[in-house]
Amino acid sequence: MQKYLSQENFSTLLEKLIASGKRVVAPKLNAGTVLYEPLKNPAEIVIDRMPRRSGKEAFFPICEEIISYGKEGQKVTVTDIDPARFPETVLVGVRPCDAAAIPMLDAVFSWDYRDEFFLERRKKTTVVGMACTEADDACFCTAVGLSPGDPKGGDILLTQVEGGGYLCRAQSEKGEALVAAHAALFSEPDGHKSLPLAEPQTEKIDLQKVKKWLDTNFEHPDWDSIATRCVGCGACAFVCPACHCFDIVDEGTEKSGTRRKNWDACGFWKFTHHASGHNPRDLQPKRYRNRIMHKFKYYDDKFGQRLCTGCGRCIRLCPAGIDIAAIVEDISKK
Amino acid sequence: MCDHTNKNIYLPYLATVEEIIDETPDVRTLRLVFQDEKVRDSFNFRAGQFCEYSAFGAGESTFCIASSPTRKGYIECCFRSVGRVTEALRRLEAGETMGVRGPYGNSFPIEDFFGKNLVFVAGGIALPPLRTLIWNCLDLRDKFGEITIVYGARTEADMVYKRELKEWQERNDVRLVKTVDPGGNGSEWDGKVGFVPTVLEETAPLADNTIAFVCGPPIMIKFTLPVLEKLGFSDGKVYTTLENRMKCGLGKCGRCNVGNVYVCKDGPVFTAEQVKRMPMEF
Ligand SMILES: Cc1cc2nc3c(=O)[nH]c(=O)nc-3n(C[C@H](O)[C@H](O)[C@H](O)COP(=O)(O)OP(=O)(O)OC[C@H]3O[C@@H](n4cnc5c(N)ncnc54)[C@H](O)[C@@H]3O)c2cc1C
Ligand code: FES
Repeated sequence: MQKYLSQENFSTLLEKLIASGKRVVAPKLNAGTVLYEPLKNPAEIVIDRMPRRSGKEAFFPICEEIISYGKEGQKVTVTDIDPARFPETVLVGVRPCDAAAIPMLDAVFSWDYRDEFFLERRKKTTVVGMACTEADDACFCTAVGLSPGDPKGGDILLTQVEGGGYLCRAQSEKGEALVAAHAALFSEPDGHKSLPLAEPQTEKIDLQKVKKWLDTNFEHPDWDSIATRCVGCGACAFVCPACHCFDIVDEGTEKSGTRRKNWDACGFWKFTHHASGHNPRDLQPKRYRNRIMHKFKYYDDKFGQRLCTGCGRCIRLCPAGIDIAAIVEDISKK
Repeated sequence: MCDHTNKNIYLPYLATVEEIIDETPDVRTLRLVFQDEKVRDSFNFRAGQFCEYSAFGAGESTFCIASSPTRKGYIECCFRSVGRVTEALRRLEAGETMGVRGPYGNSFPIEDFFGKNLVFVAGGIALPPLRTLIWNCLDLRDKFGEITIVYGARTEADMVYKRELKEWQERNDVRLVKTVDPGGNGSEWDGKVGFVPTVLEETAPLADNTIAFVCGPPIMIKFTLPVLEKLGFSDGKVYTTLENRMKCGLGKCGRCNVGNVYVCKDGPVFTAEQVKRMPMEF
């Protein structure tokens, strides 16, 4: 069911959500950079700039405490996390490429063992997506089978309309509940025309063919040239909406402290380094190969889809100018 | 087999260090008893599984469970001090507390080995993952045929579980062949001198109705597998364990994969046949 939400009512909606005690997370300026962060007031939302990092950190923070411990004399106590840590949240203005990554992460954090840190937040969060009206050179969602108006992974999709305001489509129970709870702010959509959506300049890549090549070419001389420029900085994994590797470390002393999950990256040399000195991925091309393999083969083998939404952040940020879209497209033509 | 009852999958059980045994100057065994009685009763594992052991303030490390599931009331781990966590675990004294998450991973399908002969081949610090299985089998001795153990280390001092080697040597239902690398033999050495693959070839266990288990440094495994093949062992009858670096042990953190295989979930126990299908990433 589609509804119209005026610009003014959009602000009112955010205001009401904030006032109700919910955590409202949206793209917001932070020292010149747009990031998904909690809003203090509706005016802070920035919808015309792509956030620097993805929306995943609303569910999977960069650094997260998973236990705390303390020691008194010989006695050690370990404290579990207070579920109040996970407030009811509305994630607003999520790019379709970020929203589409959320179900990809659901699969990882819920198969077999369930990571409740991710899943509790997920349960308590309503995702309000926003269709893209502008794409830049790095955007390639259409190449990996998504689109600037793709509703995947969201509970509501907003599309900007001519003259201001949004068309609003709720596409899950959570989304409908949010609209129903603020029904007075919404009106009939008749007569409102959506702005033209962005048109990323990328051709659709035949991902089946990519997968097929990856299935049989773990060893191939091209890997050296594909990844030779990678400097192993890990920036691509950091900004990726779908990368989910993490480290587990203790911070504190023997007497007291916390254990944390921190984002990590398979591009780092230490990632696979053994105590014996042996390193299965001893060279950077092997680590970059793992990145491509994981996204376009391993994840697919396990969960039946790709681990890339074409957001283009890794392309924008790579200090060595590596373009994953071009690499994958090349592979599709091998 | 997996314990999903903990809501927080990263929450460790608390365990008391009950006994400390120095195996070599830098390898130590800790015998651990869970502090919560319920955990003590319910903690079930199979030979081959591993845990994440933690020293609070230093972090977690992955080791196999080195004791046998047939020995109840405690578990043991055996580790070499190589870094932050292992050194912190080494500083623990008897009576002190550490954390344990697990058991994780798959295990040796021991029921499939009933009625068969067993050959264990281990090198250096890699005896612990086989020691759990060896005791598991010895505690069910009449279910198996002949049991042969080939164990090698650089020098006698580098051998772990020395007291148990002695016990196995004295048993007449186990054939123990121990060896040290050339030059590693002291004047009182009563075993063989030579690298594990060579000694295994000389020992020449019959492949007929026999399962082989190999754990050791990558170089030892590399040279041992062809020897087993020569002796007539097919790849499906040879088991090993992989030790890719791990963090979560739960299939989440993305650390341990070899190709599309998650060693923490699909392993750490694999047949040589499975390993040979994997890309060289271990
Ligand atoms: C399934 C499995 C079973 C294992 N069983 C045993 C065992 O029974 N006994 C034993 O002594 N060791 C075992 N290991 C290896 C053991 O996990 C590492 O030696 C240990 O975690 C190093 O921890 P650390 O914090 O002291 O070292 P750190 O200070 O973290 O690092 C020291 C060095 O070790 C490397 N390292 C760190 N963590 C690991 C890791 N998990 N695996 C490999 N290298 C690592 C680092 O890159 C660094 O070079 C096993 C590993 C796996 C995956
Ligand atoms: S150790 Fe984390 S995924 Fe295997």
